[in-house]
Amino acid sequence: MKDHVRSLPWREGTDQVLTAAKVPADHPLPMEAIKAALGPGPFALVLLFASPAADFAALTAASGVAYPSAEIIACTTAGEIFDGYSDGTIVAIGLPAEDFACATQLIENVDNIDSEELIARIVHARASLGLGHGGFDHEFGMLLVDGLSLAEDRVAATLAAAMGEVPLVGGSAGDGTVFEQTWVGRNGVARRMAGVVALIATRCPVQVFSLDNMVPTDRRMVVTSADPDRRIVRTINAEPAAAEYARLVGKDPEQLNPLIFAAHPVVVRVWGKHHVRSIQRVTEAGELVFFSAIDEGLVLTVASASEIDMATHLDGELSALGAPAAILGFDCLLRRLDAAERQQIRAVSECLARHRVVGFSTYGEQIGPIHVNQTMTGVAVYPPTGP
Amino acid sequence: MTLDLVRDDDSLARQNQKLRQIAEALMRRVEQEGTGDGAAFAQFERAAVLEKQVRERTRDLEHALDLLNASNAQLAAANRETEAARADLAGAIGTLQEGFALFDPEDRLVLCNSRFGDGIAGLPLSPGLPFTEYVEAVSKSPSLVLSEDCNPADWARQRLLRHAEDHVIFNVALTGDRWLQVSEHRTPRGGTVIMQTEISDIIRTERVARGKLLDRQARMIRATLDHINQGVCIFDADARLAGWNRQMSQLLSVPLTRFRLGVEFHQLFERLRDGLSFLGGTDAQTMLDWVAKRRPRAALRFEIQRGSVTVLDVFAQEMPDRGFVISFTDVTAERRASAALAEANELLERRVHERTVELEAALAAAERANASKTRFVAAASHDLLQPLSAAKLYIASVAGDDADRAVAGKAANALDSVEAIIEALLDISRLDSDQASLDIGSFSLGEMLASLADEFAPAAARKGLRFQVLPTRHRVRSDPGFLRRILQNLIANAVRYAESGRVLVGVRKEAEGVRVEVHDTGPGIAEGDREAIFREFHRLEGQGGDGIGLGLAIVERAAARLGHPIGLRSRLGVGSVFSVALPLAPAATGDRPEGPAVQSARRGQVMVLLVENNKDMQSALAALLERWGVGVIVADGAEEALAILDEIAIAPDALLIDYGLDGADTGVDLLQRLRAWHGDIPARIISAHREPRLAAHCAAAGAPLLTKPLSAAALEAFVFSAAR
Repeated sequence: MKDHVRSLPWREGTDQVLTAAKVPADHPLPMEAIKAALGPGPFALVLLFASPAADFAALTAASGVAYPSAEIIACTTAGEIFDGYSDGTIVAIGLPAEDFACATQLIENVDNIDSEELIARIVHARASLGLGHGGFDHEFGMLLVDGLSLAEDRVAATLAAAMGEVPLVGGSAGDGTVFEQTWVGRNGVARRMAGVVALIATRCPVQVFSLDNMVPTDRRMVVTSADPDRRIVRTINAEPAAAEYARLVGKDPEQLNPLIFAAHPVVVRVWGKHHVRSIQRVTEAGELVFFSAIDEGLVLTVASASEIDMATHLDGELSALGAPAAILGFDCLLRRLDAAERQQIRAVSECLARHRVVGFSTYGEQIGPIHVNQTMTGVAVYPPTGP
Repeated sequence: MTLDLVRDDDSLARQNQKLRQIAEALMRRVEQEGTGDGAAFAQFERAAVLEKQVRERTRDLEHALDLLNASNAQLAAANRETEAARADLAGAIGTLQEGFALFDPEDRLVLCNSRFGDGIAGLPLSPGLPFTEYVEAVSKSPSLVLSEDCNPADWARQRLLRHAEDHVIFNVALTGDRWLQVSEHRTPRGGTVIMQTEISDIIRTERVARGKLLDRQARMIRATLDHINQGVCIFDADARLAGWNRQMSQLLSVPLTRFRLGVEFHQLFERLRDGLSFLGGTDAQTMLDWVAKRRPRAALRFEIQRGSVTVLDVFAQEMPDRGFVISFTDVTAERRASAALAEANELLERRVHERTVELEAALAAAERANASKTRFVAAASHDLLQPLSAAKLYIASVAGDDADRAVAGKAANALDSVEAIIEALLDISRLDSDQASLDIGSFSLGEMLASLADEFAPAAARKGLRFQVLPTRHRVRSDPGFLRRILQNLIANAVRYAESGRVLVGVRKEAEGVRVEVHDTGPGIAEGDREAIFREFHRLEGQGGDGIGLGLAIVERAAARLGHPIGLRSRLGVGSVFSVALPLAPAATGDRPEGPAVQSARRGQVMVLLVENNKDMQSALAALLERWGVGVIVADGAEEALAILDEIAIAPDALLIDYGLDGADTGVDLLQRLRAWHGDIPARIISAHREPRLAAHCAAAGAPLLTKPLSAAALEAFVFSAAR
């Protein structure tokens, strides 16, 4: 069992700024194993990304005991990222109190949030960080939110408004490829229909990023009927949505599956910029359920992966970040599926490992106020520049 | 871009229906119908559109908030400071002992403390009060004391004039013998600060102190007057007695009761003038005039005598208030002492005068003695020289065999030595007596040296010395006679002391002139002897036999008289160099050759032509004549005499001609030829023959005979009579 517990050998490097480990999801005492691997801290923040195979409630409860003085946020995943793509594990990341300060907030009932109350809480939480002292000059926010809440857009927009110019990245919690229930947890408490946000100040320079390899094609369609609240598109071009989508991407309507959705996402164009609207599944009525907000009258454009293969594209984008000490990444489940479909999974996984990305596969990603799909968002953390 | 909105296999009606539905959906979307249903996407859309703007707006807002907070904080701090400062200021001026008020640049009262109003009743002190109204209120205050010629309006006007100045301090009198000192200062902003200090106590204290001071000063003056030993009396502007001291009565010998305050000067003066006599040019009227004089009166000083002994110095001086002070000082002792001093001085001067006369007499006697000594030496030398010349003449005329001539030669040498000694003594005597007048002229040094070379060549040759005189073309300025003596002595010494080797005479050009050097290879002169050798009769031991030790003494004296520095370098066993430095003659002195005869002719006033074929006799006579200051032209015979006179174109003043000349002609023949040429020149024929016929012959020729040995007296008589 011990063989399955791994921690990244970052402590040996001089530019070590955080510590990470992963344990099997079915480990009988996962928190003890994690603590043994991460060390006692002190940590400002501990992140836990848990496979749906893990007992999330038990893990959350144990985490509060294991690190009573640290902030802890956690969520379920659609796959983990630690030394490349991973499944059936729990990934833990510790941000040392020496270099980081952190405040967290739990956002319950994300389908019905009180924006003003949330903004006030976030502002106070930021103030509690004691910014500007101790050389903690760099700041960012991190959101983990229920990936089936259909409320990520609103949560992201509200948080971004509260945080001003502080960059925000986030990932939607996943449930493998089951799409039944996702969890988030904070300091020993596990919730559904909830989000947790961590406000982090650090002496380490940070850089948030968002990347995708999609380019729009010339095939467009119009949503003629939809249920925006449930992100369901009923008809496209006045035809049943799934059938019309299948016709435009050249597939058999009966064989639509996530791999096809990943390979043929649709994008909306807002002020000259394309944003991916990923399709989650097909309903029995031949409707399409989306991962993000849709509306009637939208013009959807079919997108396809760029000419450059995914691994090369990813390597280029991550290399452009310079030489960070670590990267916390939220990578869309559909990217992983697409990579698998294109036999790129191994190359992409190695690229993630090479760039020391830790994180998980999401049901959606947040960058600033925007909730998007089929992207990878994240934050690169660099070694401290000063004392 | 393809528009693939409908399926190709749809019927047109179906296509139409679908396009209409699509159009409707698009229009609803455009018109934002169904907003309620589409809230989530709208949120996304807004976020996407506004992300950038919102972020920037938020950042600006935060920045503005920060600034606002910061400035709020600063404002609060500033307000607190202002309040604190205001409170401090108010507290501070409240605690001041002085009254304090501040007026702003518009001259309105800003603040004042309670003491500012103290003591001046009726001031409406409240912020905003104009300065003019404040002044007006003060001027009308019953507390203010105004002088008689000043009403409140006047006071206010003067007060405002003071206010115009930047800094002013003045005192204000208040009722109840109270005083305020008011100091007013302009602030940098143009406001005015007024400080009022209660100075009543100070004024009162000062007043008392001044009263005491005046009393004390009066007592001190009184004590001083009584203490000094001068008599002093003081009169006021009306010439009435205002003060006096006890010494007055003592000095003037009048009872103190005579002095009464207020008595007029004239009365007092009339009473006192009896028994006083004025000394110097002053009299009683001088004093009266001085007192009566209008201002300004210069101080008056004179002396008076009281009785027969006491002398008083009187000094009258005006005082600033036109009164005057007269002081009397007893100077009897001083006058007596100075009289005694004058007497002693007179006695002393008389004695000095007497002594001076005595000394002058002694000096004259000494000078006379010295002169007579010099004259004696000169005369003695002459007297010695004459028989000597005679002896020499005799010896020259001795005839006989060789043995006789040898004896005669030795005798002649001995006589030469004696003659040299006498000549040297004579030289020294002349140099000492100051009677030897210098005859400075320019002449050829080369010729002088050439003649000296001729003179010493035989003696040097006899000793086997190499004797050399280097030729020179320099002309020098000096007395040729003395210079010749100097060089003669130096060369003679060199020849005398050099036992072997050489004697070299040369001339060196120097910056200031020339230097004649006489080198010898004699024994040299030790360092310690170098001064002694210039003394009379000094001879270095064991050296030379025929010197008499007078040569260098003459050299030194003559060089000193001429101003020619003498130099000496010497090394024992090697030799000596004596030198004499001479100034060069000015360039334009002409190139006329100057022989010794011509020099002589130019020197003396009397020029004698001596024609004598006997060399010894010739030089003896010439020397004799030259010593008398007579110029001598010598010639061996008639032809030479005629040739010389012809050459120099000067007629001699007198002729001395030997009767027995070489050749056919006699002296008388020559005489006649000369007279035929040059006129009737006084002449004497000299001869050893004493025949009466010869004498008659000469007398007939107008030239009486002088027989040998010659009588110097006769010769001198002739020469000097001829000169007249």
